[in-house]
Amino acid sequence: MSGQPILEIDGIEKHFGGLAALGGVYANVESGKLTAIIGPNGAGKTTLFNVITGLLPPSAGRVRFLGEDITDRPVHEISRRGLARTLQIKSVFNGMTVRENLWIAAQSRDGVFKPFQRASQSKRANRVADDLCEELGLGPLADQQAANLSYGDIALLEIGLALATEPKLLLLDEPICGMGPAETEQTVAKIRELSQRIDIVIIEHDIEVVFDVSDEIIVMNLGKVLARGTPDEIKSDADVRTAYLGDDDDA
Amino acid sequence: MTPAKVHRLGYVLFALFTLTAPWVLPLFVDGFWVDIYSEMLIWSLLAASVNLLFGYVGLLSFGQALFFGMGMYGVAIGVAKIGLGFWPAFGFGIFLATGMALVAGIFAVRLTWHYFAIITVVFSLIFYFTALSWKPLTGGDDGLSFSMPPMFTFGEDNEISLTDPTVQYYFIVTCVGLCYALMALVLRSPLGRALVTVKENDMRASLIGLNVYLIRLTAFVCAGFLAGVAGSLFAFFGRYASASYMFYHVSGEAVVWAIIGGVGTLLGPVVGATLLITLREELSHAWEHYLILVGVIVILVVVFAPKGLGGLWLALVNRLFGGTKAPPARAEDAPRATPKAGPGEEKP
Repeated sequence: MSGQPILEIDGIEKHFGGLAALGGVYANVESGKLTAIIGPNGAGKTTLFNVITGLLPPSAGRVRFLGEDITDRPVHEISRRGLARTLQIKSVFNGMTVRENLWIAAQSRDGVFKPFQRASQSKRANRVADDLCEELGLGPLADQQAANLSYGDIALLEIGLALATEPKLLLLDEPICGMGPAETEQTVAKIRELSQRIDIVIIEHDIEVVFDVSDEIIVMNLGKVLARGTPDEIKSDADVRTAYLGDDDDA
Repeated sequence: MTPAKVHRLGYVLFALFTLTAPWVLPLFVDGFWVDIYSEMLIWSLLAASVNLLFGYVGLLSFGQALFFGMGMYGVAIGVAKIGLGFWPAFGFGIFLATGMALVAGIFAVRLTWHYFAIITVVFSLIFYFTALSWKPLTGGDDGLSFSMPPMFTFGEDNEISLTDPTVQYYFIVTCVGLCYALMALVLRSPLGRALVTVKENDMRASLIGLNVYLIRLTAFVCAGFLAGVAGSLFAFFGRYASASYMFYHVSGEAVVWAIIGGVGTLLGPVVGATLLITLREELSHAWEHYLILVGVIVILVVVFAPKGLGGLWLALVNRLFGGTKAPPARAEDAPRATPKAGPGEEKP
């Protein structure tokens, strides 16, 4: 599968009033690679994610996922096609337990309009929820309300919600933002492991992490793609250095 | 005793009381309280309809009286104008209310929060004034009364009808009981879990692939059904339908009952409706401004028991009979949790 575009972003524009948050983004995401999107604040990275996942309608341009046009499709339908994402501001179901969180995400694949079936008898969703609790190391917290979790555990749970929907492509929006060093290391290891079986696009500000995990980097600035290439290519790109990394080699 | 056993015991006692009320209540209080109790059960369904929307899917409706009124008029018009028998009229009332909820819901559930609340009020006012002015059909200000058709007839003269107080009481108890059983069934299904999911975080719900609009619409139609059953029962109870029961004042009362009883708990609305109707019956003759007291109770409940009396009861039972302990802050501190069969047991 390596080399096939799983996601094609074709001239996406997004205007908020007179402001062009995205001014024509062209980018393909290839299967089998971990792609990172970097860029200064306001470059349009999260807006691009919002357009891809259907949360925002684009002003112009098309998005194709697995070769099919998903522009202007409803959010839930895009999710059902196998595109999952996490949000910059961590978003889980706070009033539900960890296990209930994962359970409903798994059950959404089997349909929820089953008013006369007992939720506890959904074998597949039960198994997926239990497996993910174990896999993410949330097992001991399975019956805790999500609201009581630490920030790092909430971030993990949110990744778990995305995984429970069995995605083909996972968009992670600043997955390690706000984490301590130990949590960061743990999460980065998890992302690297996941990238072996799922295609991942990650928005991240921590440049060290980005250069460490990604195979391909897309640099955005002012709503456009400024450069793309392997980590080594990006490191030596003059435009990127001035626009984003600064002139300091340690950046 | 575990909390689950206490709750089960509570259900059994409540069911026993309800089933024996025609004999038990007159031992302690005046016999007319049996009638009032059946009225409370009917009204509790209207509160349950608010609860289903607000407590489970997170939509605060101030227009549930519309569907109550539709149920009422369905029965009254069915009997008095169309000449339907008992069962067809009952079905017609419920159908009218549920259909109205579908039509109103298609527009209303596109909105949330105060926009949703406002549109539900607007819908109910439109139909309130329509009912008031469409005199030939609805009787306008005077309302529409009808004589009770029999439920069953045997041979020439034998019939079972709600004119028999015992039949009427058990008919109401059966219908209300079936509604709560149905609600309990749905709430513990995948659909029930999806409702709570939408209430918790609608954006995340759609991101995991749930059709939030359709889930809200389903809840709205189910709530319309509950209010419709309540309205239809109330029409039979009073042999009468009137536009005044469609007014937003009635919707607001149902919201107060639901909040005091405890939104998000199955039987909270019964507690709320029972308590406040008792207050009304006892105090409204003696003290014209008794609603001040109701207002104080609402404020106290909202401030000190946001989950209502039902939530207070759950917390109390959990504390007394060893429910969940204070949540540990970190994974390492957490006790090893035993895996459960289901995604969490339902709360009563």
